[in-house]
Amino acid sequence: MKLKIFVVIILALFLIGCHKQQVIDNKTLVYGTMDYGVSMENTGTNPHKSYYGWTAIRYGLGETLFKFNDKMELVPWVAKDFEYLDEYTVKINIKENVCFSNGKKVTGESIKRCFEDLIKNHERASNDLKIKSITADDNFIIIKSREKVPALINYLSDPYGVIIDVDEEEKDGIVIGTGPYKAVKVTDREIELVKNENYWGDVKPKMEKIIVKSITDGDMLTMAMQNGEFDIAQGIPYLTLGLFTVGTDRFKIISAETSRIYQIAFNFKTPELQDLNVRKAISKAIDKENFTKVLLNGNGSPAVGPFPKNFSYGDDFVNAVSYNLDEARELLKKSGWIDSNNDGYVDKNGKNFELNYLTYTSRPELPLLAEYTQDTLKKIGIKVNVNATDNYKSFLKSGKYDIFANSLVTAPTGDPEYYFTSNIIKGAVGNNGFYDSSKIAKLEKELHNTFDVKKRSDIAIKMTQEVLNDCALIYVSHLKMSFVIKSNLKGFYGHPSDYYEITAEIEKQ
Amino acid sequence: MKSPLIPYLALAIILILIAIFAPFLTPYDPYSQDLTNALKPPNVQNILGTDRYGRDIFSRIIIGSQTTICTSLVLLFVITIFGTFIGTICGYKGGMIDNILMRISDVFLSFPQMVFAIAVSGILGGGLLNAGIALAVIAWPKYARLSRGLTLTIRSMPYIQSAKMAGTGTFAIIWNHILPNIAGSIFVTAILDLGTIIMELAGLSFLGLGAMPPTAEWGAMMNNGRSMLQTAPWVILSPGFAIFVTVVIFNLLGDKLRDVIDPKNRV
Repeated sequence: MKLKIFVVIILALFLIGCHKQQVIDNKTLVYGTMDYGVSMENTGTNPHKSYYGWTAIRYGLGETLFKFNDKMELVPWVAKDFEYLDEYTVKINIKENVCFSNGKKVTGESIKRCFEDLIKNHERASNDLKIKSITADDNFIIIKSREKVPALINYLSDPYGVIIDVDEEEKDGIVIGTGPYKAVKVTDREIELVKNENYWGDVKPKMEKIIVKSITDGDMLTMAMQNGEFDIAQGIPYLTLGLFTVGTDRFKIISAETSRIYQIAFNFKTPELQDLNVRKAISKAIDKENFTKVLLNGNGSPAVGPFPKNFSYGDDFVNAVSYNLDEARELLKKSGWIDSNNDGYVDKNGKNFELNYLTYTSRPELPLLAEYTQDTLKKIGIKVNVNATDNYKSFLKSGKYDIFANSLVTAPTGDPEYYFTSNIIKGAVGNNGFYDSSKIAKLEKELHNTFDVKKRSDIAIKMTQEVLNDCALIYVSHLKMSFVIKSNLKGFYGHPSDYYEITAEIEKQ
Repeated sequence: MKSPLIPYLALAIILILIAIFAPFLTPYDPYSQDLTNALKPPNVQNILGTDRYGRDIFSRIIIGSQTTICTSLVLLFVITIFGTFIGTICGYKGGMIDNILMRISDVFLSFPQMVFAIAVSGILGGGLLNAGIALAVIAWPKYARLSRGLTLTIRSMPYIQSAKMAGTGTFAIIWNHILPNIAGSIFVTAILDLGTIIMELAGLSFLGLGAMPPTAEWGAMMNNGRSMLQTAPWVILSPGFAIFVTVVIFNLLGDKLRDVIDPKNRV
């Protein structure tokens, strides 16, 4: 008898041991994403560092003074409104009922200290904002700029402008924000947030806990989502998105057109690429239409310039060279690149045309673009050596690349200037091709001094066209961002900004 | 009753011939992309279907056999020669040389093989050559150990003593008297290892540390098709099956060869 009981107990323990699955209750939301990770420089919540602000705003920890609506127009958030006192001075009125997750009231003074910390520590922010002084009162702040900054409010609505309580020291990567959730654990692989009991908004957070898990492999994410381990999945490879719609009603796909682009930059330090004909030939060899249709599985649109069609300075107003392999070969020939030894590759002065293509893998479609480009350039006689590595930063630093392909959001602040100042003008942080154009510099100066929105759009169009005329970059596709969510999830929407994800409205039914 | 050696030998020779003459056997250009023809399931034109770039998978498997099998054969040849050379020198000379070289081999043997190979190719960077170097680094001590042990046994044989007394030089003794006597065992071990080497090479390529795009290599092809297991399974299953068949054939051939060559089995 004793033996039987013993066997039953052991068997029961064994079965319990076998069933070690994470229990997800209706108050816990588990979010698997490929957009959180060291290579994305967002593994923290302090918005004053790198791209950590994206994490703070994406996962519901932080909020900015203003936010963007679906048309990427500014609407109030922590702030009530703003007015320009003159071309250098703006007054921003703060809502009276906003408080941090630690219960402290958000005042003009606390925002002033936050912004002072921001411009002291954040490289991009100090360049964008050009703040001379901030004066604060209980319910407003007045920002004076060193020079005209027409897009100041847009810049302050960038994720780096998330309002945090800088009086409370950052501890283990955790800062105090004003969002519906507050972080309790932050690592390179995972973020855990809990409900902010002091949340000031009209809609109170409905989940008790949010767990954000970094997943680096699209297939793993797909299978985990199929298995029901996540409530939301971001970054599922386009090819497998169909698995969540065909023959099942357990999931829903939420999509949004964003200004995220796949772009290829030419390194102007490479002598061969300083020739406009060569850059034009390479640009002509990329079939954006088919790349988007087949390799992105239709989850995007072929790009002309950096901004999508729905922007007032978008693709409808600019022209780029079109796909034509014969014309591409002709252009190379014009520049003296011909296949003299019949080895399939064009050569000049006894040297084959060979390019080093640098990209990374954390965006699963980038290696596809690399392999596609490798093949299509081979058709015009250019040999491409692909280096797809998440250690790409060290290669960028060492300059060992001729072409760099990356993916980025071109208008996160709804304004075109951000893209040009951070990627196109000489010395910009993201100007990895070392492109330098005096025309662009002149137009940027003009853009920088123009407040009228229509005029700003016109200048942005001219700038984009100039970049396209120079064939400084190839804009391949605009991405459609897609999330897979469980059908019982309500209140989750895709947003064109790419960074409003977890909100107080999210709930499970 | 033991199955005969000939069928396996014939199959292995066929595989090697396919690998050698691969460029003449492919129905389509294995590297030419045609996006309008992407992810076609197996059909009359493309008997194993096409991959996401519209390349014919059958052609890529044929050309991939060259990369996978020929690289593995060359690699195995190099490892065997090098390991055996070190082992026989150590076994015959003994002393300081033996101590130093065997301690070095101990260091290499003390790491888990595949982990060490991943680390080495990770440091050297991707590429078939670097993957080959990584595998060679981990595999040679096995042959050095084996040939050293065999040499130690033979070294004390009367015919070696006689050769020594007749004034024959070290290398002549190794070449004429030791190597012919250990070659059988080394050869069987090498054939048995071929399957493992193919698997390891494909494994490194699968992890993105071996063959680089667009090189058709079975492991790399499997890696490319990984995300399509549920949507376009032919992309991953075809190269997987090719690896399976090849490894089985070489393993069975090794087994049969051992039966034939090993004197103990003849009794």
